[in-house]
Amino acid sequence: MSVAYFPGCSLHGVSREYDRTTRLVCERLGVRLEEVYDWNCCGATAGHSMDHELTMGLNGRNLAQVSLMNLDSVMTPCPGCFNRLKNARVRIEATAARSRKKEQSMKDRPAKLPKVMNLLQFLVEEIGLQQIAKPVTVPLEGLKLAAYYGCLNTRPRKIAEFDDSEQPVSMDRILDTLGAETVSWSHKTECCGGPFTASEVGIVLDLGHQVLEAARYATADAIVVACPMCQLNLDSRQGVDGNALPFRPGLPVIYLTQLIALAYGFPVRRTGLRRLLVEPLSLLRRKGLA
Amino acid sequence: MDADTTYRPLFLNHIDDSLRTEIKRNCSVDVELCMECGKCSGGCPNGHVFDYTPRKIVQLVKLGDRQTLMTMDALWICLSCQACVDRCPSGIDIPAILDYMREKACRTGAKTSRPLVRLFHELVLSSIRGHGRVSELDVALKYNWKAGQPFKDARLGMRMLFKGKFRFYGNGVKQRAEVRRLFEKSVIAKDVS
Amino acid sequence: MTKAGKTALIIGGGVAGMEAALRIGQAGFDCVLAEKEEVLGGTVLQLSSSFPRWENPLELVEERISQLKLCGRIKIMTATSAIESRVSKHGYSVTLQSRNGETTNLDIDAVVLATGFGMMDVSVYGEYGYGIYPEVVNSLEFEARIKAWSAGLGKVPEGVAFFKCVGSRDRSKGYPYCSKICCMYTAKQAGLVKDMFPYTKVYVFYMDYRAAGKCYEEFVREVIEKKHVTYVRGRPAKILPEGGKLLVRAEDTLIGIPIEVSVDIVVLASAAVPRRETGPLAEMFGAKADKYGFLERQRFSLAKASDRVFFAGGCGFPLETLAAQQEGASAAAEVIELFAHE
Repeated sequence: MSVAYFPGCSLHGVSREYDRTTRLVCERLGVRLEEVYDWNCCGATAGHSMDHELTMGLNGRNLAQVSLMNLDSVMTPCPGCFNRLKNARVRIEATAARSRKKEQSMKDRPAKLPKVMNLLQFLVEEIGLQQIAKPVTVPLEGLKLAAYYGCLNTRPRKIAEFDDSEQPVSMDRILDTLGAETVSWSHKTECCGGPFTASEVGIVLDLGHQVLEAARYATADAIVVACPMCQLNLDSRQGVDGNALPFRPGLPVIYLTQLIALAYGFPVRRTGLRRLLVEPLSLLRRKGLA
Repeated sequence: MDADTTYRPLFLNHIDDSLRTEIKRNCSVDVELCMECGKCSGGCPNGHVFDYTPRKIVQLVKLGDRQTLMTMDALWICLSCQACVDRCPSGIDIPAILDYMREKACRTGAKTSRPLVRLFHELVLSSIRGHGRVSELDVALKYNWKAGQPFKDARLGMRMLFKGKFRFYGNGVKQRAEVRRLFEKSVIAKDVS
Repeated sequence: MTKAGKTALIIGGGVAGMEAALRIGQAGFDCVLAEKEEVLGGTVLQLSSSFPRWENPLELVEERISQLKLCGRIKIMTATSAIESRVSKHGYSVTLQSRNGETTNLDIDAVVLATGFGMMDVSVYGEYGYGIYPEVVNSLEFEARIKAWSAGLGKVPEGVAFFKCVGSRDRSKGYPYCSKICCMYTAKQAGLVKDMFPYTKVYVFYMDYRAAGKCYEEFVREVIEKKHVTYVRGRPAKILPEGGKLLVRAEDTLIGIPIEVSVDIVVLASAAVPRRETGPLAEMFGAKADKYGFLERQRFSLAKASDRVFFAGGCGFPLETLAAQQEGASAAAEVIELFAHE
């Protein structure tokens, strides 16, 4: 199986461990990831916040690049990129449909737009839980995990068209398949503070605090994420002094694909687990998983 | 609302539907579907920080109050988490309204209450214009410098550096000109450096 | 069979169906009243009180049942459903089946459908956690709680929150219509909780309150002003389980700030929908239903759905007990008119 792969800027930068483990996992699953040729940034928060036309243009280009590769679907592990690409696709399709109606000609159909998926969606819908279970050699037994979906993997419903936006289960199911225990908790889709990690730290501390405390209340050993922004926000400020709402230290925030890679028997040095700021290895060693 | 020398209540006779139709045309949002229930505000993660809660933002559109919409604080600290539109019984796309008004605010030179947020966005766009992609280290350093906080998050930065999280060498788009061309019409993404 | 041998079949033994059967029987025509459950009474049996008079609804049901039994022309068939129907020379030939499998064939001259309404399955509202958090219930389930508390069973709650318009007035995940009775029964339920437990905090989250009826407005004001139920204007956004309780997040739209409140139980006033039996029955008898499954009346008629087919009560649209009875009587009047002129 081949799919176009859109890593996004974070996965080439601060969240490289997410990129690397996604590649390892796909390789083990027999999926050929073809990085979108010469992809450009999706615009991130700045794009849609400041210039709608520009963002459409940036993502129109990305989708066109996928079409040039003769692939009919593109997958991205970053929910932000997913939201921008999918949004662009939906809008381009709607505009094309309107102009087709106007011209009433089916002759010059535009090239079919690629299907856009986020990582969770790709794993659950295209690969399936049975296939995901097959390469597991180190079941993640004894690990209690809080699956954190963040905002854009499932919202808004009309764009994401995936899982439930209030009580999602896709990541939980994947983790169950890996042998871990997933906890039932209240903040699965509550925002972490997303785009304001640099410019409005107070907001990130306020919202991130609530997420971390909710996970702790549910007795989770660690939080599992599928978003580079969530990971950065929740991981990078634990134990920070001098805040009104303390970010208590010691709760690892791990990328889903890092755990899948671990379960597939990849050595720790290839999973990038050491790169996480709140170190997860003592937890994993305690559970006999590393 | 127009400033007046003597205080007067808002005169509804003066309110036309031009903003409402503008939003309908440009954002595909029909605010007349709003039943003012407040479910949006109730679930907004930043609702308690906003000067105008999401429901009030829709009400501002109904009242044709462009001025407040372009200068309010909430405009710049909306997380775009999509919780409001996802829960709204009428599907009112408030993030789309805010994106539209923010862009308009920038184009008309309205002052922002959160210049650092705007600065960060501009630096990101500038990075995209230059390289086609965002260089996080580049943006972070420039941001700290321009925000007058050169040592902000220095400890965090060092920790990330030692963990090998930053990428130093170029990782740009090959067909950079193609990307740059997209910026030609953009008034916002002027080169900040 | 008397009076020129006309027989009406009433499907549904709730208050609407019982009323229709009673009127038709008292007018001198034969009736068969078929009820799916073991007992007559329908949804009203589940209620712990009534608005606007705070009366015991079981007394009404008992009264009607004794009247039905007294009237010699009404055959009551409980634990019975209609499974098949064919158009016949004078009306319909209907096959009824009882729970033990026995079937009966009836030749009838008119049908009255009175299958009532049920509650929408509100588990689609993941933000409220119905079906996930055990202390989140719908209004009918809450009636059972009230009955249990009245009998001295169950823990005393410290806080109860009622959410109105869950599924109603919602184009996004529910139905665009208003379910009409929820504002009134929610006020009733809130008032009852306060009567039983004066120190319990009771909140009603509303968009509006609709009290259009005789003594209705006064009823709601009594609940607010005399029983001290707190009404908060705002449709709640989410319930978060926290510290063994339920945290409700909403906006108090009248002052315009987000608020949170911690309670033990949340009651969802769920949209009223037609019961599932209504669809197949409508098809069986050629009755038209709207896009939500509620039966539609023909123009200029009060209760006629199709030739010789009438309907009354919740299967047409949600309504209060008295209105259901009135509709039952209207349907009966049209049946009687039909029978008398043939």
